Amino acid sequence: MTKRPIKMLPIWIAVSSVIILAGILLFALLGFNHSAERGNNKTFEVEYDVVVDTAENGIESLKDACETAFKASGISYGDYQQAAKIDANTGSETVGGKLIYTFSVGVSDEALAKAKAAVESFANETFEDAQVYADYHVSYNTVFTDAAWRAAIAVAVGLVVALIYVGIRFGVGAALTGLTLTVHDVLVALSLLAILRIPVYTFAPIVVGAVAAFASLFMWVLQCMKMRENFKSAEYGAYSAEEAVEASSKTAEKAIYIAAGALGIVLVIFTVALAIAGSQLGAILLPLVCLFPVGVSVYSSLLFGPALHVPVKTAFDKFNSKHKRRFGKAKADKKKEEKEN
Amino acid sequence: MGKKKSAILITLLTLVIAALCFISTVSFNYGSNGMYTFNSLLRATDKDADLGGVYGAEGYKGGGFAVTYYPEGVITAKEYNDNRGGYADEAEKEEYENSYVAYHGGTLYLEKESVCGGGDEPSEEFQSAFDNTVKLLEDRYARLKKDGAELAVKDDYTVRVFLPKMMDASLVAFTVNSYTGEFSVRYGSNAESAPEILPALRKKTIDDYFKKAYSRVGADGTAYVAMQFTDEGKEVLAEETQNANTMYFMVGDQAAITLSISEAVDSKTLYVSSSAYTGETASIYADVINTVMKLDDAENTLKLSVSDALEFGALYGGNALAALYIAYGICFIAMMAFFFIRYRRLGFVHLYTYLIFTLIMIVCVYGISFLYLSLETFIAFMLVSLLLAASNIVTFEYARKEYAGGKTMASSVKEGYKKCFWHIFDLHVVLAILSFIMYGIGLSNLSLFAFILGLGTVFSGLACLGLNRLTWAAMMSFTPNKGGFCNFKREEVEDDD
Repeated sequence: MTKRPIKMLPIWIAVSSVIILAGILLFALLGFNHSAERGNNKTFEVEYDVVVDTAENGIESLKDACETAFKASGISYGDYQQAAKIDANTGSETVGGKLIYTFSVGVSDEALAKAKAAVESFANETFEDAQVYADYHVSYNTVFTDAAWRAAIAVAVGLVVALIYVGIRFGVGAALTGLTLTVHDVLVALSLLAILRIPVYTFAPIVVGAVAAFASLFMWVLQCMKMRENFKSAEYGAYSAEEAVEASSKTAEKAIYIAAGALGIVLVIFTVALAIAGSQLGAILLPLVCLFPVGVSVYSSLLFGPALHVPVKTAFDKFNSKHKRRFGKAKADKKKEEKEN
Repeated sequence: MGKKKSAILITLLTLVIAALCFISTVSFNYGSNGMYTFNSLLRATDKDADLGGVYGAEGYKGGGFAVTYYPEGVITAKEYNDNRGGYADEAEKEEYENSYVAYHGGTLYLEKESVCGGGDEPSEEFQSAFDNTVKLLEDRYARLKKDGAELAVKDDYTVRVFLPKMMDASLVAFTVNSYTGEFSVRYGSNAESAPEILPALRKKTIDDYFKKAYSRVGADGTAYVAMQFTDEGKEVLAEETQNANTMYFMVGDQAAITLSISEAVDSKTLYVSSSAYTGETASIYADVINTVMKLDDAENTLKLSVSDALEFGALYGGNALAALYIAYGICFIAMMAFFFIRYRRLGFVHLYTYLIFTLIMIVCVYGISFLYLSLETFIAFMLVSLLLAASNIVTFEYARKEYAGGKTMASSVKEGYKKCFWHIFDLHVVLAILSFIMYGIGLSNLSLFAFILGLGTVFSGLACLGLNRLTWAAMMSFTPNKGGFCNFKREEVEDDD
């Protein structure tokens, strides 16, 4: 007989802990995979002047020469851009521009040097009196860390305040479970990003964390609503905390699956559209990695959350009934005293 | 709601939607030979560095600018060859050639004297000064807090910086952020020859006289750079500025800020305004001073020259924005298909509500100065679109349940809304709290993402609980078969007979 998910809290804790610990370990050792970031790369840059700019098919033939040179050198680029030159002081456009091809850092300097020689030789033969310079560069990006730690504080403070509202409307127990779940979801989503080594931009973990907080809170509030509605009914009055949470969780299942499914479809459509448009890898993968928080929030709201909420609800129910009894007893004692007097 | 009122309301809403749709999405040329261009709101909205699109006749919104900073003594192969070619005399040419050493396969040329200390490799002093300079630049560009700003060390000894075009003062930032050296104040008629008045004594530093610079924008829109001095600084200034003259706030040997004064300075804070200042540029000037004040060893930095700027289009590629619009269109059609299949003509109610919600969001992104289009904007918008769709489904389902129980349609809608009001209200309040707090604390991307989420959540709540109900009532008044209109069915009751 299969064990009911609501009774499997130790297993859910173990699964989440393993993922989070592995994520922290990998993050500490390797960080996130920021290889999609534009900054860490080698670039092959071809600077051209007005002669090339005004020649018929000048730029196009230069591009073709670059493509041929790369093929001959056995290298392929990840990104291409054409930039116009402007005066940094006045902002006015000046003549000429640059063709910029981006390669991974691992591409050899020898291959790039070979391509450089081929492109310069082509330019000298093709364009009379033109100044064409081909160069290759290596760049290492600086990560502005301010945004990352401010994002962590923003998500944490936002969650605490939002859950205070949840506490007021749905009870302190629901808020405590919600806080645990949202923190859990953010950590698990980021851990998955670190473990799976998906190449992303520097800001992607911030977006993933924020989506995780939003999706997790959304799903948990759905659960809380269902619980508030269901627990009022007489049928639920006869249930133990475990049975009540389990039964209520089942009524929320459909809504959670539909919401997560719709969001998943939207994110996949965006990923496919960006891929078809030939966008950069980091851009294509950003909507895709946002599927992590959606998946994690489904797991936590349907499996981990209800299982975690059972002991919390049991403890709060006990506390409430004790206080009710005490208040009731105190009231009765007072009435008795008044009567006696 | 009466039929007349409903007809008027639906007509008005249709007109509003049509007008907003038109100004939000349609661009065209007009005038003789298409001289003028009408730009839709989506075209006119700022785009981040990753996305981009045409604007006006020849304009472009999105993308950004990049420059490279070259430390003194470090030049490009092009500059080296140009200089070398300028020598007619062979001996002079040879001397020039011998004064430089090729670096990184001839990509850069390093001056032997100033960079390599006479040898062929960059000296330790140069390396240390370069590291210090990079630290200074990092601090300056980090303070801009701009989405898309990038800084990379290129070929070991140059620095490439990229700023998005939507930042109005990106070119100013490139130039002003190249100022390196210590902060000082000079007073006289010419920045180069004016004597230094702060720091006043050799045994003291500028920190003893000057606290910090900051920017302010007045109610009339005038931007200021405020220079805050210590008591000691104020005393020195009062003594030194007796005659009408000019104060030069120097970073290294560059006058970052100049201030003409007609009487002795008798204030701890000086507010400097200029016609060239905007809120953004004033902040850049203030940070240029603050960053050198903060740097431990500001003297040990390198003089920088700025290359010509390069103008880039959308970094995600020219088709990325169109792809996002198409993706949105597909999602929209899928959503409407679901609503029309499940709720038949009630789908029109959602269509009207959703279109108004979307168009208001477009107007807000266009109209609110710090918002712009980016991939994060799209993701946030899709999240709140989903929230609105989910909220509308909840209201429809609650009404469906009531109707199935035997109530009239009007009563079902009323009861359904009554039962789900607090659910929807709570959900929106919780998500709006989270979003607006994230917006308040987060920076750049997160801030934008969170604000769109927050704004969308508020509009979604209003649209679902207010507009949706109104449109529903108006549309339903035309049909006698209200159950059929909404695809709601009565529960079948077993007949005992």
